[in-house]
Amino acid sequence: MSEPLLSKTQGGDPWKARIDRVFARALVLPLFLALALLSWLLLDTLYRSFSVQVVRSDVGLSQTFPLGTAWQEALRAALLQEGYTEEEAEAMLKDSKELRALLNQNRVELMWNTHEGPLRYVVTGSYDERVLDLPLLQGLRRWEELKAGLGEGERLVLNPWLDQTFFTRFPSRNPLIAGMGVAVVGTVWVLTLALLIAIPVGVGTAILLEEYLREGRLNRILEVNLRNLAGVPSIVYGLLGLAFFVREMGFGPTILAAALTLALLGIPVITVTAREALRAVPESQRQAAFALGATRRQVVFRVVLPAALPGVVTGVILSAARLIGEAAPLLLVGAAAYVPFYPSGPLSEYTVIPVQIYLWVSQPQPEFARVAAAGILVMLLVLSGLYLAALYLRNRFRREW
Amino acid sequence: MKLEILQNHETVRTAPVPEAEALVDVRHLNLFYGDKQALFDISVRFPKNQVTAIIGPSGCGKSTLLRSLNRMNDLIPGVRVTGEVLYEGVNVYDPQVDPVAVRRHIGMVFQKPNPFPKTIFENVAFGLRLMGVKGSELEDRVVEALKRAALWGEVQDIFKKQSGLRLSGGQQQRLCIARAIAVEPHLLLMDEPTSALDPIATQAIEDLILELKSRYTVVIVTHNMQQAARVSDRTLFMHLGVLVEEGPTEELFTKPKHPYTEAYITGRFG
Repeated sequence: MSEPLLSKTQGGDPWKARIDRVFARALVLPLFLALALLSWLLLDTLYRSFSVQVVRSDVGLSQTFPLGTAWQEALRAALLQEGYTEEEAEAMLKDSKELRALLNQNRVELMWNTHEGPLRYVVTGSYDERVLDLPLLQGLRRWEELKAGLGEGERLVLNPWLDQTFFTRFPSRNPLIAGMGVAVVGTVWVLTLALLIAIPVGVGTAILLEEYLREGRLNRILEVNLRNLAGVPSIVYGLLGLAFFVREMGFGPTILAAALTLALLGIPVITVTAREALRAVPESQRQAAFALGATRRQVVFRVVLPAALPGVVTGVILSAARLIGEAAPLLLVGAAAYVPFYPSGPLSEYTVIPVQIYLWVSQPQPEFARVAAAGILVMLLVLSGLYLAALYLRNRFRREW
Repeated sequence: MKLEILQNHETVRTAPVPEAEALVDVRHLNLFYGDKQALFDISVRFPKNQVTAIIGPSGCGKSTLLRSLNRMNDLIPGVRVTGEVLYEGVNVYDPQVDPVAVRRHIGMVFQKPNPFPKTIFENVAFGLRLMGVKGSELEDRVVEALKRAALWGEVQDIFKKQSGLRLSGGQQQRLCIARAIAVEPHLLLMDEPTSALDPIATQAIEDLILELKSRYTVVIVTHNMQQAARVSDRTLFMHLGVLVEEGPTEELFTKPKHPYTEAYITGRFG
């Protein structure tokens, strides 16, 4: 009797299967580790962005205001406490210029818990002083004890550092009232300008290479260079920006110089992804358009580019996400340390979110670490939003040809 | 039977088309891809308002001949053409003739349906928009083209909303035909238009070709000899870049004169 070709008893070498399983796990393990580390980092940052504080006001009683109070009311009460008369306070609140200065020096914020009860408004002045800064859990454990030990002009608050006026407050030497308003506006300015420059150039280059110079040496040379440029460390672009845009062209440490530098950084990435998207449009589409008597320009702009648009936009969003997080090149081209005003145009000084975070982290006061944590959270939120948008676009407009 | 490239072959012609009846007159056409010659001294006339089929085994240059009629081969780098293709008396390879204009006058349908990822309306309107047709005239001509392509009944409720890519394969191909005939070309080139379709869709397309014959001159490349026999008035048989034989379809299929033609249509090679 001959041996059957397939027998159940043979099964196959159990060791082979075992080794395969081990290998598969070994390959996945680092990924899980990385994910676990990232989520730990995120949670830690989140935890650090809350703290329990005892703060002493230098003037008067430290007062809190119930939830329904308008912030103007709270501010007025705070002014009266500081010794202004009724009329003076009224005049200061009416004058928009004075009001802005007041809001820069006083943070009117909803605190999650205070010694006078939960969810109350607190006005923090620029001369207020921190007595104690405790991590969230420790602070909550000692809450009653701290509340009992409050001295004259002192208040106990559970401070969420990432709160609604964090986005509009100006940077300050006092961490209690420091915010990232200027950095947010600066980022919007720089990123918008950079994309306005990088998108036409990047997509244009991709179209040129993919639709006009299909074959040929020029195409190959540019291809190699683009891929190399996409991998150049960003600080090198910063040096280039410093030497060329800031010094040679004389733009100085302005938004324009920063936008041009970031545009240089973004162009290779945008070009490479846009090329992939254009290449994914099947040749039959171009043939159809040509056969209908379209010129090459019409083929590109009426058929190929619209068909490739989802891919192109995804690439643009991903490169925007990268540009938002760039601190190194902007430190070189002069994102300034302390800018107490909103940028007024492309030629004004600026700072951006990552640079602002970097500066906060390097401050000696421990609360700046909390401000930085809040800033990092903002940045992570913006980045996640961009990545989700890219993911959505990619799935929503994916085409089967 | 031993097959070779026919050297200096004189095309066998049955009932040749008189010059007056020809819409397209190909004269001594040679075509090279780089150093490789793909078409050898082809001379043939395509009669007006008739269907001419081009048959032959793979790689015989059927599609190349078809594409050289509307200069689609120009898009391939390294293509060189000698000889003349007279379309309504004008040589389309004349240096003063714009290839884009040639393609606007000659419609083309491809092997695989290739509608644009746009609505059915926008698909058909594409060529018209290139010609600058606008407004109600655009709309009328789109509807007219859809009717002539026998697609109107199926899409009249949805043609402004639905993407052309969401139609079935046969419908897509008829959409491509509608797109090609919307600009009123005199000549319609079809490059194996049914090879990607099922038999029912194929029959719809074949019926359509017979109907289109009254308005357009059709040149169709096909792999399928039965199809050539069903739809065409004249047939060209090509072999390795050489036009071996041409004549009325009936004659060519029943009384082939060249041994290669006979061998091919009886299925001894191909």
